[in-house]
Amino acid sequence: MLLTDRTFRTLLSREVLRFTRVWMQTILPQILTSLLYLVVFGIALGTRIKEIEGVPYLEYILPGIALMSLITNAQMNSSWSVFDAKRERYIDEVLISPMSNLQIALAYSLGGTLRGVVMGACTLLVGIPFVGINVENPLLLIVIGVFASFAFSSLGTMVGALATRIEHISFLTSIVIQPLTFLGGVFYSVGMLPDGLRLATFFNPIFYTVDAARFATLGISDLNPYPTLGMVFLISVMAFCGAWWAISHGPNLRY
Amino acid sequence: MSGPQNGFPALKIEKLKKTYKNGFRALDGVSLEVGAGKFFGLLGPNGAGKTTLINSVVSLARPDSGTVEVYGKDAFKEFREARRMIGVSPQEINLDKFLTVEEVLIFHAGYYGVPKKKAKDKAAELLERFGLVEKRDHRTNTLSGGMKRRVLFARALMHDPEVLFLDEPTAGVDVELRYKLWGYIRELNRGGMTILLTTHYLEEAEALCEDIALIDGGRISAQGTSAELKERYDARNVEEVYMKVIGDASN
Ligand SMILES: Nc1ncnc2c1ncn2[C@@H]1O[C@H](COP(=O)(O)OP(=O)(O)O)[C@@H](O)[C@H]1O
Ligand SMILES: [Mg+2]
Repeated sequence: MLLTDRTFRTLLSREVLRFTRVWMQTILPQILTSLLYLVVFGIALGTRIKEIEGVPYLEYILPGIALMSLITNAQMNSSWSVFDAKRERYIDEVLISPMSNLQIALAYSLGGTLRGVVMGACTLLVGIPFVGINVENPLLLIVIGVFASFAFSSLGTMVGALATRIEHISFLTSIVIQPLTFLGGVFYSVGMLPDGLRLATFFNPIFYTVDAARFATLGISDLNPYPTLGMVFLISVMAFCGAWWAISHGPNLRY
Repeated sequence: MSGPQNGFPALKIEKLKKTYKNGFRALDGVSLEVGAGKFFGLLGPNGAGKTTLINSVVSLARPDSGTVEVYGKDAFKEFREARRMIGVSPQEINLDKFLTVEEVLIFHAGYYGVPKKKAKDKAAELLERFGLVEKRDHRTNTLSGGMKRRVLFARALMHDPEVLFLDEPTAGVDVELRYKLWGYIRELNRGGMTILLTTHYLEEAEALCEDIALIDGGRISAQGTSAELKERYDARNVEEVYMKVIGDASN
């Protein structure tokens, strides 16, 4: 019902059309950014840090970089989509349609999820020729990618729905997501950090997704992988509840 | 397109109250009944609460209290059924800027659950009808104001609503389109569609509406058929009725 409803599927396909239509702006630059990370961090740092936990450095960072790209894209897609729709009021068309708030929140969040997954996969594919890895557990990696993407896309939906000014949206990317991705263990193992920072990392949701993705790709991780998977799942459920609440109660949506 | 013919009024509003977050009471106990198949005019000055009333029916505004039924369906508890019967052409232009004209129409139909094939046919019909065929592949943000207005009308009709809300449809519209539109909505009304039109353009109400309600300060100050009101207020036309009812109140 919820997912097979044509009303819902239409909004989801609109979300997909939105980012594929402007793929030169949405997809291409992101792939270049990821390549840059690989080149700059991988090649530059890679000459100093030869390997972590027995894995060559470039290989070690690739899953995290793919996840960075996935998270950034997922979150940007839904936050901008919802905020734009709200700012120009065409979200009204959706709000007065027969769709429920749950369906609306889900369609926006899944649209961003798709963009995140596509971008994460592209990064991985682009990176593999440079790095040359076998993904240990592809199925698990897909599951983690989808849940991580859904979590941060839902966060984007929530912020887009709550935002009243354009700065709120860019804050999410530049003040919240970007620092958290850099501190989320993409470029190092938390084992290498001093105690205080290591403890702080455990409060960073991105760390769990990065660690889980690394486990699925390389078979190594900082934490016991199964509780981490549970954590990734929990984060995405919480984020989506936030998105649902924000679509139902956010300012300038239903007055 | 002709209403459900189920014996219910198209729209039944009872004791509707709406206070905005800033404490402003925009609707102060509005009760209103729009009979099935009627052409109904909701008239009142700027800020009277007309748009708030429409928005409350489709849950874009959240009323504090009161009930709304659309052909007997509770607009809040049975919102899917109720909203599917309603088409809204809003006062302010709100077109999806990522889509082309034709896509706006087809996606709208999809939001209301209309199958793709049917939506395509309907879009073709309405594009033709509103002189939008040449613009079908243009992004909506490249259109002129008048063209955008046409897309709003077409969009509201894409899911074959039983009840059509036209919120100040002819504000800022050139004379040619205004008369075309009048002709077209009359035709829709004759086909059984219930129309609720808000306007402060009284000539428009005179020309089109059989039933009229006057709203001011969030309250209905007079209601009846056009003829009844003229008789009651000893007026020659709707404009005089309006002046007597609203003009007096606001002095
Ligand atoms: N979101 C809002 N917050 C606070 N006041 C509002 C809001 N929307 C409308 N109003 C006020 O409610 C009153 C009724 O507005 P509206 O329904 O748009 O009137 P109309 O459509 O008859 O011109 C006006 O005084 C308007 O300023
Ligand atoms: Mg208005």
